[in-house]
Amino acid sequence: MGQVMQYLLNGTMNGALYALIAVGIVSIFKSTKVVSFAHGHVIMFGAYFYFTFAVILPGAEFMPDWVAKWEPEWLLAYKEGAMMFSPKAAIAAWVSNLPRIVLGLVGSIICNALLAVVIERLFMRPLLGQSSLSMILCTVGLIWVLEGSASLIWSADIDQVPALGPNFPIRFQLFGDQVFLFSASVVNFVIALLLFAALMLVLRFTRSGVAIRATAEDQSTAYAMGINVPAVFTSAWVVAATTGAVAGAILASRNGLSPTLGLFGLSVLAVVLMGGLDSFAGVFIAAMIIGIMEAFTQWKFGGEYAEIVPYVLVLVVILWRPNGLLGQAEIERI
Amino acid sequence: MITGHYKTAYAADESIWNNWAKKSGLVIALIGLFAFPLFANNYLLLIAGQILIYMIAVTGVNVLVGYTGLMSLGHGAFFAVGAYTAVIAHNAVENLFPLITLALSAGVAALFGLLFGLPSLRVKGLYLAVATLSANFIILFLIRQDWAAPWTGGRQGIETPNAVIFGWELASNTAKYYLIAPVFVVFVLFAQNLFRTRFGRALIAIRDNDHSAEILGISLYAYKLKSFAISAAYCGAAGALWSYFFPAILPEDFSLNMSITLVVCLIAGGMGRTLGPLFGTLLILLIPEILKIISGVFTGGDGNALIHFSSIRDIVFGLLIILFLIFEPMGLVSIWDRFWRFVARWPFSK
Repeated sequence: MGQVMQYLLNGTMNGALYALIAVGIVSIFKSTKVVSFAHGHVIMFGAYFYFTFAVILPGAEFMPDWVAKWEPEWLLAYKEGAMMFSPKAAIAAWVSNLPRIVLGLVGSIICNALLAVVIERLFMRPLLGQSSLSMILCTVGLIWVLEGSASLIWSADIDQVPALGPNFPIRFQLFGDQVFLFSASVVNFVIALLLFAALMLVLRFTRSGVAIRATAEDQSTAYAMGINVPAVFTSAWVVAATTGAVAGAILASRNGLSPTLGLFGLSVLAVVLMGGLDSFAGVFIAAMIIGIMEAFTQWKFGGEYAEIVPYVLVLVVILWRPNGLLGQAEIERI
Repeated sequence: MITGHYKTAYAADESIWNNWAKKSGLVIALIGLFAFPLFANNYLLLIAGQILIYMIAVTGVNVLVGYTGLMSLGHGAFFAVGAYTAVIAHNAVENLFPLITLALSAGVAALFGLLFGLPSLRVKGLYLAVATLSANFIILFLIRQDWAAPWTGGRQGIETPNAVIFGWELASNTAKYYLIAPVFVVFVLFAQNLFRTRFGRALIAIRDNDHSAEILGISLYAYKLKSFAISAAYCGAAGALWSYFFPAILPEDFSLNMSITLVVCLIAGGMGRTLGPLFGTLLILLIPEILKIISGVFTGGDGNALIHFSSIRDIVFGLLIILFLIFEPMGLVSIWDRFWRFVARWPFSK
């Protein structure tokens, strides 16, 4: 039972991350009807930007020392006598990393937003009005461009990046069994959920959220109602890229930086299709299901099998419900 | 060229080589194809063989994507199925006649195509693309498994046999080239002919509007599945040739990258045309070679430049796809068409 709870928790944590990444794909699809195959690589760029701003830049000579390692008096006092790997030491280490974590996050969010604007203006805008197939293939082409430029820009040795939260092991009893977690993954989980919820609220209650939903409903009517549709497209890409930047930072701190981060985006594509392309709720459910199923597969069959869980699940679900769990059926006219 | 031929029968309207220009073009192309090894060195033959194999596979993808309008990002897996079938067949029966291997590989790949074409009955467009992408991951995963290793060699890959025809082993690149080239011609001609038949027209009708096609009495299920099977069979045959051509195969050879490359070749060339896959493959597979030459000129064979070579190649690849989509959505074939239209109407063309 304890093991079941353990893997359930691990799965939920992963699921939240999936949901955070999937939200980007859904928001692009909802407003522009383009499914971005390159979202994983946008995330990878977010991760590399985070690395640049949180590791390379603070290490540069012109930066003041406190950016790389912030050690005010009170922190040293607090840290004194803390055991290795104790929560206290972990929190102290986190606080002294805080400037560069913040710098990294802000930097990667801004850079990724710029990247999104460039992608949208340069590559997606000229394709407006073409078939959705060619737009999708354009994002496939983008995969190569992003992958190539990433390995061209960041060819230096890759270091560890700081985690977003203090990292210490948490052990507690659940139904009489010992359960084990890392506090950093709890922080990641909370961040992912908060971002997801915040996006939902923005979409539901703000003016720009309404504009995005109106564009999703009917582009030409939205135009006629005075909504700046191209601006909506740009903002959808920016939303996707900024959530992707946070997801990238989380992924980089958890799994390490590598060009294979981009492939992760493809399995998220499976999540999105399983949930239904235009349904945030469906995608959230699918993300949780896949996260948990992956964790259990890892437990029962080993990590190798976990790799193909999203793909098998999406095949099954698509055969059963062609538009995903909660997706809307497209009405076609001859 | 396209002006001034007078047709008196429907058969003439249907004929493929309907004027002297096309006929002589075909003859020149065939002579060029079969005379190529006389002038080429071993390295050129290696590239040429690879290109021909890819052309067969891309022609198969064209049947599905270009003519039937079903998106697939999983054809690398069918390629893999063909290649591994050939190896397994050769390990079971020594010195199997190559044509039997080809038929076997194509057949097994077609079966896989039928199986993974099943989602196409329910979904299309993007959902199908992701379903086939999933199929790609799953098939490669199965090939990599340890329990499959006695047959497939697992993740270490497996050595492949040479083709043997009546006791003559095709070991040199030239010999292999002469095995591939006739197969290539037959497969391309088959595809060209397929779309003059009732069956081919039905596929085109499905591409143009599947609901209308169904109303016209075309069974979507049967035709979509058959289209999947045919295009998978092409890839399977290409895979068998691949396993003859290279000394060993690895599961990674047939990853998603290959599936995407196949589709990219098709887009660059032009979908739904016979010449499209040929032009597209030629362009896409020659890019690395061209880049190699260019970088050699700029750096004078400097080793440092080669480190970035694969990244630059990736960027050029990606940009090429995007630029084609933006500026030439119909592919190289449309440039070709425009050129010949210009020539045909000269001096009145502008």
